[in-house]
Amino acid sequence: MELTLLIILPLLGALVVGFLPKRRPELIFPVSLGVSILPLVASLWILWNFTVGEAGFQFTEDYALSDSLGIGWRLGVDGISLFMIVLTGILMTLAIAGSKSITDRTKQYMVSMLVLEAGLLGVFLSLDLLLFFAFFEIVLVPMYLLIGIWGGENRKYASIKFVLFTAFGSIFLLAGIIVIAITAGDAAGTITSFDFRQMLSLDLSPTTQLWLFLAFGIAFAVKVPMFPFHTWLPDAHTEAPTAGSVILAGVLLKMGAYGFLRFNLTLFPQASVDLAQILGIIGVIGIIYGAAVAIVQPDAKRLVAYSSVSHMGFVVLGIFALTSQGLSGGVFVMISHGLTTGALFLLIGMIYERRHTRLISEYGGLAKVMPIYAGIFLFMAFASIGLPGLSGFIGEFTVLLGSYLTLPVLAIIAGSGVILAAVYLLWMYERMFTGPVLNPKNEGLSDLGFREIAILVPLIVIIIGIGIYPKPVLDRIDPSVEIILDRIQTTTDYQPPEYGRAEEIVQPQDVRAEIVGEHSEEGSE
Amino acid sequence: MNNASFLAVAPEVVLLAGALLVIISAVMLEHSRKEWGFIAGLSFVIAMAFSVLQWRAVDTLIAEGNDLLFFSARNLPVLRLPMVVMDHYSAFAGFVLFAVGLLGLGAAWKLVERLGSRGAEFVTLVLLSVAGLHMMTMSANIVVMFLGLETASISFYVLAGFTRERPESDEAAVKYFLLGSLASAIFVYGAALLFAATGSTSFYGAGGMKNFFVTTILGEPGVLLLGIGFVIVGLAFKVSAAPFHQWAPDVYQGAPTGAVGLMAAGVKVAGFVALGRILIGALPSQIDDWAPILAIIAGLSMIIGVVLAAVQTDVKRLLAYSGVSHAGYIMMAFVAGVDGIGPVLFYVTVYAVTLVGAFAIVGVVSRHSSGGSPIEDWSGLSRRSPEMAWSMLILLLAMGGIPFTAGFVAKLSSFTAAASADYLWLTILALLTTVIGLYVYFRVAATMFLNAPDDDAPAIEAPMTARMTIAAVVVTILVLGVDPWPLLDLVREALPL
Repeated sequence: MELTLLIILPLLGALVVGFLPKRRPELIFPVSLGVSILPLVASLWILWNFTVGEAGFQFTEDYALSDSLGIGWRLGVDGISLFMIVLTGILMTLAIAGSKSITDRTKQYMVSMLVLEAGLLGVFLSLDLLLFFAFFEIVLVPMYLLIGIWGGENRKYASIKFVLFTAFGSIFLLAGIIVIAITAGDAAGTITSFDFRQMLSLDLSPTTQLWLFLAFGIAFAVKVPMFPFHTWLPDAHTEAPTAGSVILAGVLLKMGAYGFLRFNLTLFPQASVDLAQILGIIGVIGIIYGAAVAIVQPDAKRLVAYSSVSHMGFVVLGIFALTSQGLSGGVFVMISHGLTTGALFLLIGMIYERRHTRLISEYGGLAKVMPIYAGIFLFMAFASIGLPGLSGFIGEFTVLLGSYLTLPVLAIIAGSGVILAAVYLLWMYERMFTGPVLNPKNEGLSDLGFREIAILVPLIVIIIGIGIYPKPVLDRIDPSVEIILDRIQTTTDYQPPEYGRAEEIVQPQDVRAEIVGEHSEEGSE
Repeated sequence: MNNASFLAVAPEVVLLAGALLVIISAVMLEHSRKEWGFIAGLSFVIAMAFSVLQWRAVDTLIAEGNDLLFFSARNLPVLRLPMVVMDHYSAFAGFVLFAVGLLGLGAAWKLVERLGSRGAEFVTLVLLSVAGLHMMTMSANIVVMFLGLETASISFYVLAGFTRERPESDEAAVKYFLLGSLASAIFVYGAALLFAATGSTSFYGAGGMKNFFVTTILGEPGVLLLGIGFVIVGLAFKVSAAPFHQWAPDVYQGAPTGAVGLMAAGVKVAGFVALGRILIGALPSQIDDWAPILAIIAGLSMIIGVVLAAVQTDVKRLLAYSGVSHAGYIMMAFVAGVDGIGPVLFYVTVYAVTLVGAFAIVGVVSRHSSGGSPIEDWSGLSRRSPEMAWSMLILLLAMGGIPFTAGFVAKLSSFTAAASADYLWLTILALLTTVIGLYVYFRVAATMFLNAPDDDAPAIEAPMTARMTIAAVVVTILVLGVDPWPLLDLVREALPL
């Protein structure tokens, strides 16, 4: 019930906002902000009540919708999706709080945001492939409206490009889902079966696995986005309104990486092992390419957009390193990237509201005019680069550690991505904030107000918090990641490197190995 | 005449009585527009109730072990063949057709009021055409099917040219009539060839086509194949499947907007149901003959439909071409044989309802209540009328097959049917064209939401009946998108005998 409620809350909120009286437009913003807090609270409640150390799905729900078609309202949360839903809740509330400047068709804007939230939560909670696809696809619509209606100059082009790219990917996903559902239906004696947990017992031939992996993979690769499917991202990010960019970078991109983790690795283990190297290479290309292109961007928002390509490359590399560190590091980068990049987009949005330009060359010496803004910006830049003690470091370091075990060459090349991140972010900082104020338009800019600081402080706290003490997060991620690796290990010849198992590094004589062992048996039934 | 045989034709009787009453009240009473609407609406509602009763009666008869419900004119020796059949299939199709008729009339009411005294003729023709369409679906004999087809078609030719003071409407009617007659002729020729091959015009019964293939080794496979082909072509024309779709855009654009939704939706329902009746009801054993033909027509329809829809600048034409692609998506499910019936019925129901709603919105939004609907009319609709813009968005998403609308479930079940019948190429083609389709529908959405309204754009006035129709359609589409299971279970039972 909890998870259903979590998905329904934003929808109810959207209804409430949609039916606010026309004559009271001033109500829209506070009411939307209020209702967006409800799913946040619900997601935090789930975080609080999540049983640590348990690998399988928790809070599971399973209502059959159609027996003969094998479709069900199946929801569940594990260590991977847990943080995705919390991230969604946090970022959505902050993004709505940061949308004060939206004055055109505010009601439709807020409804779109809340519907988007319901879709995103649904993606991370679904344990039924059809349900997953439905949520995966419905996210397109509010995002299209957000970019298209409230976006920048070139919004029409960016929004339709976004739709066509992702829809093109989804079509392969749908084809793959139909094929695997018919296969699973044959096994279960129904026409089709979309139950994810039941599919884990399917014995697919390597060739079938390869084709299905590719069908699923294209959809997820477009969403991540992986090189060379990334070209929609800079346009969409740049043109989207601030809140749209925050959600796009913070949560939407994670849907792709989450899809790889949840479906590709577990349903098609043999294909995952076979393709791991190629996908690792693609991930590293993304890291270097995204960073290199980010360096030369004249537009601050576009720069951050390309930095997303680079960071998501780390996630891909971590996932396809197929080691426990790589996988949990990948999930950690997903969380950290959501927080830092979301914050950077919020920051750029705040300066854009003041100056209505995102060109780096228009700024200079802002540190003198807006010291608080400059300080927070520098903090976020460092968090994004991966300064030790902040969240970015934990994720990227763990990914590099994990990928060095199986893909050492790639790990070494990927390491340079961290340096490049320092180049593009700090160089941007230098050009925008240091030196004298040369452009007279920048002289009278007001520093951040109370509302803006209040939006950013929670992000700062979390970034420092999980940067210094990541154990609570990793404790919840690790068992869920282990179970994926165990499944790959039991169904293929692949053996993760000996010292690549987290429990043996962190706690050599711990009982955790047994706990994980027990649960992995349950999971691979 | 026993009770069951009255029940089999009861909806037709009600609709014809309604039609007569409308004409009489138009003659007897002055200013009786409200009464026409009342009579016609009531006729549709009663007919829907009879469909439900039919469904139940069939249930009872099957429970009694009597699973056949054929009716023939037994006192005429020549016609001692099953003429009409009452089964779940025809009852379901009837319910959908009458609902579409009701919705279509609601959407067209503005036009009826504007037509003045001629409005009675319009209402009468609507009732007659729906009666004809239902006759197609309950026919047990290809001659009866043809009679139904012609009753509906001739009514539609007149409806297309109803606002004949505009040359476009005239043109639409003449085009529809000429090409439609050609299609009818092809259908009759196909029927004659089927008779030549099987020695029967009836689908069922001892000497019927279905039985023929069980008992006889086919002597003239060529004649049979030609007959099947011609019948398919004739019906493909009616449902505007490519390459027999050329009439659709011109007719949709020229015909009065109020009538188009009903015409397009009703013909699609009846056409596909009739196709299922012939192919799966009468010729299930010849599936290897007709499935490839349908697959090719379906594939062509998808490609031609979406590609041409993508370049249209008039929303009515765009909907016409998108209808061509939807004809393809519906037709592809037939290749799964009897397993395809459920998806076909589900899809055609959803699409018909969507289409009626979409044309109701076109009628509200277009600057002229008849004629074309250039896409500029739709600029900035989300500012001028958020309700209409969001309703249209939901219907467009349903046509595009976005989840949580009924359109997604429809597409999914149709695609799954074709995929499980090993027509993978068709499924992949359908998926790819769906992406282009999304471009088509999002382009209209972009005009409504992203463009600024023209300065001289008139305010949107939606009459009450249109509003109710649109609301009913949107709610149906969303409810069926979230909870399609009861309907999916229902259509799985609604098989032709």
